[in-house]
Amino acid sequence: MGARVSTQTVILRPEKLEVRGLVKRFPGGRRREAVTAVDGIDLSVRAGELVCIVGASGCGKSTVLNVVGGLEEATEGIVAVDGERVIGPGPDRGMIFQTYSLFPWKTVAQNVAFGLEELGWPRARRRERVAQLLGVMGLTEWADRIPRQLSGGMRQRVAIARALAPEPDVLLLDEPFGALDAQTKRVMQDHLLEVWKRTGATILMVTHDVEEAVYLSSRVYVLTSHPGRVAAEVPIPFGPDRVPSLKRDPTFLDLRDQVQDLLSDQVRL
Amino acid sequence: MRDRDERGGGRAPVAEVEGVRGSEHVIDWRNSLAARNAPTRGRAQHPLLRIREDISFRWRALLVTVGLCLPVVLWLVMASGSSADLLVPSPAQTWDGLTRLYDEGVLSGDIWASLQRIIIGYLISMAIAIVLGILMGSFRSADSLFESPIAFMRYIPATALVPLMLFWLGIDELPKITLIVIGSVFFNILMVADVARNVPKELINASYTLGAGRLTVMRRVIFPHSLPGIIDVARINLAAAWSVLVVAELLAAEEGLAFRIVRAQRFRQIDEMFALLIIFGIIGVVTDLSLRALRNVAAPWARA
Repeated sequence: MGARVSTQTVILRPEKLEVRGLVKRFPGGRRREAVTAVDGIDLSVRAGELVCIVGASGCGKSTVLNVVGGLEEATEGIVAVDGERVIGPGPDRGMIFQTYSLFPWKTVAQNVAFGLEELGWPRARRRERVAQLLGVMGLTEWADRIPRQLSGGMRQRVAIARALAPEPDVLLLDEPFGALDAQTKRVMQDHLLEVWKRTGATILMVTHDVEEAVYLSSRVYVLTSHPGRVAAEVPIPFGPDRVPSLKRDPTFLDLRDQVQDLLSDQVRL
Repeated sequence: MRDRDERGGGRAPVAEVEGVRGSEHVIDWRNSLAARNAPTRGRAQHPLLRIREDISFRWRALLVTVGLCLPVVLWLVMASGSSADLLVPSPAQTWDGLTRLYDEGVLSGDIWASLQRIIIGYLISMAIAIVLGILMGSFRSADSLFESPIAFMRYIPATALVPLMLFWLGIDELPKITLIVIGSVFFNILMVADVARNVPKELINASYTLGAGRLTVMRRVIFPHSLPGIIDVARINLAAAWSVLVVAELLAAEEGLAFRIVRAQRFRQIDEMFALLIIFGIIGVVTDLSLRALRNVAAPWARA
């Protein structure tokens, strides 16, 4: 941010998403100790990048995502998207949660259309966009079902389609596959890669699954616990075309173990 | 079937097949396991007495029928024991009382008068409860502000307010409707607030990140998600509204079911009193079933 002056002026453009010096403290009560969940986190995501945050449970990784989403306020520090400070939630930062986030009384198509209605899109354009997204997510034939008629994986696809609908600048995923069984999870990972390639979305994802993080990301941030700080930033050298067999590649396994070791150092029982 | 070794000591089954194979002595328990007197493990549960398990349709139908008939039988027994001065009228006598009321031409007027008070009063009560309840379930600030006064008001029996209401508002419809509102609204508010509090936080957060503002979240997310719960609250507290109405009618009214009971008392017409009580019960069951049906129509997604 800002400009540095040497012999010539170089303007450092901000990244798509910037988190600078983020601190989140939960004030204590009469019977509760004050907790510093996140203590000075810096991270950034470039346009079109898929970045994962991994950390043990309780390391404040969801807090980071919630602050970026505008759902929680930072105690200190700045979150900016395209150089604009985040002070609250908005459709420019679509979010996907682990569970319970679909409107149970709305059909799949109505769920996906929710954000577009809020943006005031006319009906015809809405219908077109919904149809397109249902196509991308392979949900066309389920358009008129309600969430409880769908499997867990199907529901998360609807959640992704719904978050993508208003064309957000950044997509935030909070352990999106955490509640799915192992097989469905693998299918959904490839599906997410596919969507990422087709839409060129900028994605920040939180997960505790190291293999998932390495398989999906361009970079992985490893967080420490109590309080959450960035322990390491691990670049992942694979291109955007990834297939499941990559998970058996020696380089992949090395990276996975490396991240796993970083994480294991942080785990306190 | 699985083989068992020789555990169980003295409780050996009687039907084991014994034989000699080579030099070893073979006891084959496999056939004996099917026998009734084989040793058992675990504690069997009678199909009718299993916690939260379904029972067969036949048993259900039978038990429901018994449950319906039991009070009738009890009634018949009591009626046969007190024929002299009609303390407990028989079903036939009650029927006579009912037809007498009907022939007088007052019955439908009474039912309608009471129903009208309930409908108007309870609709007002639910309207207030939905607005305040959703506010309290959504905002901690509204919750903090309203909770204590409502908790206080809830413990003042509405029936204790009857004299005051008659004093303030006269003896027309207004005091009766007001009493129905006061008698039910505080329960309704707190229970609707509870329903609204149970809307998953993720759902609200997801709506925010899709561009919804707070008003939209309440109108388009919290309200529809709470709707089936709100209808249940309405159904449960409706009975309380009826008891308040009855007290109000007992003291001052020119028509209405409870007024008719008081009049029947004056003339010692116990058969008419019984008929009127049964009408209360029938109206109650009908409204209860209708509200259940409404819930399923209004929120098919929440059907059990």
